[in-house]
Amino acid sequence: MVAHRLVRNLAGAVAVLATLLTVVFGLPALNRAVPTDRSLAGPRYDVGAGVTVAPPPGARVDASKTRPGSERATVMFLVGDVRYLIVVQPFDGPIGEAAEKLRTKIKATQGYQVTGNEGGIRTTGGLAGVAGGYTAPGRSGRYAVFLAGEHSIEVTVSGAQLELQRELAGIDGSISSITYGGDR
Amino acid sequence: MTVAGRSRRWRFSVRPTPRAARALKSLQLPAFWLLGLILLAGMARLLEILRADLARFPVATTSAIVLFALYAVPFWLFIASMDFLEREPPLLMATAFAWGGAVATTAAIPGTQALHDLVAKLISPAFAATWGSAIAGPTVEELLKALGVVMIVLVARKQINSVLDGMVYGALIGLGYQVVEDIVFAVNAVALRGQGDGVGPVVATFFLRGFLAGLWSHTLFTALAGAGIAWFVVRTDKPLWWRLGGLGLGLGLAWLTHFVWNSPLFADGLGSGAAGVLLGMLGKGLPALAMVLALLWVARHREAHYYVAQLARLQDPRIATPGELQIMGHGHLRADARRYGRARCGRAGERAVRGLQTAQARLAVELSRVDRIFPGDELLVHCRDEVLAQRQRLVDLGHPEAVVSPMRPAVPRVVVLGILFAVALFLLIWQAIRTMNAA
Repeated sequence: MVAHRLVRNLAGAVAVLATLLTVVFGLPALNRAVPTDRSLAGPRYDVGAGVTVAPPPGARVDASKTRPGSERATVMFLVGDVRYLIVVQPFDGPIGEAAEKLRTKIKATQGYQVTGNEGGIRTTGGLAGVAGGYTAPGRSGRYAVFLAGEHSIEVTVSGAQLELQRELAGIDGSISSITYGGDR
Repeated sequence: MTVAGRSRRWRFSVRPTPRAARALKSLQLPAFWLLGLILLAGMARLLEILRADLARFPVATTSAIVLFALYAVPFWLFIASMDFLEREPPLLMATAFAWGGAVATTAAIPGTQALHDLVAKLISPAFAATWGSAIAGPTVEELLKALGVVMIVLVARKQINSVLDGMVYGALIGLGYQVVEDIVFAVNAVALRGQGDGVGPVVATFFLRGFLAGLWSHTLFTALAGAGIAWFVVRTDKPLWWRLGGLGLGLGLAWLTHFVWNSPLFADGLGSGAAGVLLGMLGKGLPALAMVLALLWVARHREAHYYVAQLARLQDPRIATPGELQIMGHGHLRADARRYGRARCGRAGERAVRGLQTAQARLAVELSRVDRIFPGDELLVHCRDEVLAQRQRLVDLGHPEAVVSPMRPAVPRVVVLGILFAVALFLLIWQAIRTMNAA
């Protein structure tokens, strides 16, 4: 009788542990197993919060890192192994403050360092911003930030050095195509 | 209905802890050791997260920990006082809190993110952006928190005596989860702001998540899940399908209330301005709060009537007079009786009334644990003597009966205070929303 009770207790405890492990390891494993990228339809992509962009050639969208919205929006393009991220969020400060915020965010990741000087950048639609570069162990990156309306548009691009160089022209073209509101 | 009649009606509402139950017996259970290992793993992971936050934002992280730890105190006291007559063991209450704070939170981070991503991949990023939190949050988090109640049942089955006990443990797990999640959110807000180690975002998060959303958050959701699990465990007099129905209802309501709160419905409020935002928030949160309070009221009174009947069957006015039996099951009436004792005999009178009430509750619980009263039962004799000693203190003070004042106002003080508190809270939240809109 006592042994039976202990076996039932053990079975219950193991069931709890199994459920816990399913949530901690099973769900993320299933998530990794499901393909993340989606092919793109049309020449322009609606990021959200009033921002649109022409994706680089051969780009796919990482659905798990993409969050459209009317006030805040994020899109992650995958160009080969290069990650190209655009984040739009409410912001009412000057461009220098927006750039500082993005630099702080980049440097918050261990091993990431902003390198070189920042320079001005302008999209074909007329949005003005600043751009710079950063490095990380085994990766290089570029960043840019624009102000549009009451939003900041943060762009980060990262990948292995060689692959980034190969894709950079297409990505630069895509960054230049960023528009806000009705501007095209 | 007479006290004896109520006792018969609710005789299955409470399953008293048997005399033979001892805390040390839990050491023999495999679930106890597995629980210990899971708690250690959860705490190690939580410390890892907090250590990283402390390294990046020491001032903000410390402020968040202190602020939300203080915030938890009144919630803890309220939850602990819910079960006045049959108090829960403090170690078990702390275990429940630790499960919510260290295990459920750390396990939910990868689980919720994965489910959110799956919704984005399988349906669309746009759908996930709108409904992802409403689907992934309740599904993963309520499951993990409910597992904590199951674990409490596995290690201390005899301590789950009634639906109320399930609500107490569920609420504590929810409180632990709420506090740690709020700390993590506060530090994330500091990181997102990108302006260094400031306390501004911590205070804003404390206000938004602790104050505006705090009354209808995890504490509430998991209390419902705990009620369902306790119903399944305690009501063995019911058919299995009925018990499973209660279990499903409790877990389902926990999921549903969480889903409604996380959903984008009324996200921008009902109507315009601060009043619209307030109405939207109340529309989503108040039904859940009202439901839990109603369930709490029923569960408390069922349990109280059960224990009051234990004293009533003695039919001894030295143990409890009819007037004392009338008020014993109602927290606000017990408080009124203490106030009356103070009004008549000062602080000594208040202390004596409190002492009698505590001794009566202990005797009622001990009486519930035996089928028959034997004259030589040492524990019962000790509890009875304690009641008689407390009674003598009251007699010596010239206030022999711990009852409420005959001049007690028609509208109970608790009702007046409750209404005033609700109105003050309503005005405060409204003013706060207006201030935030203006900012």
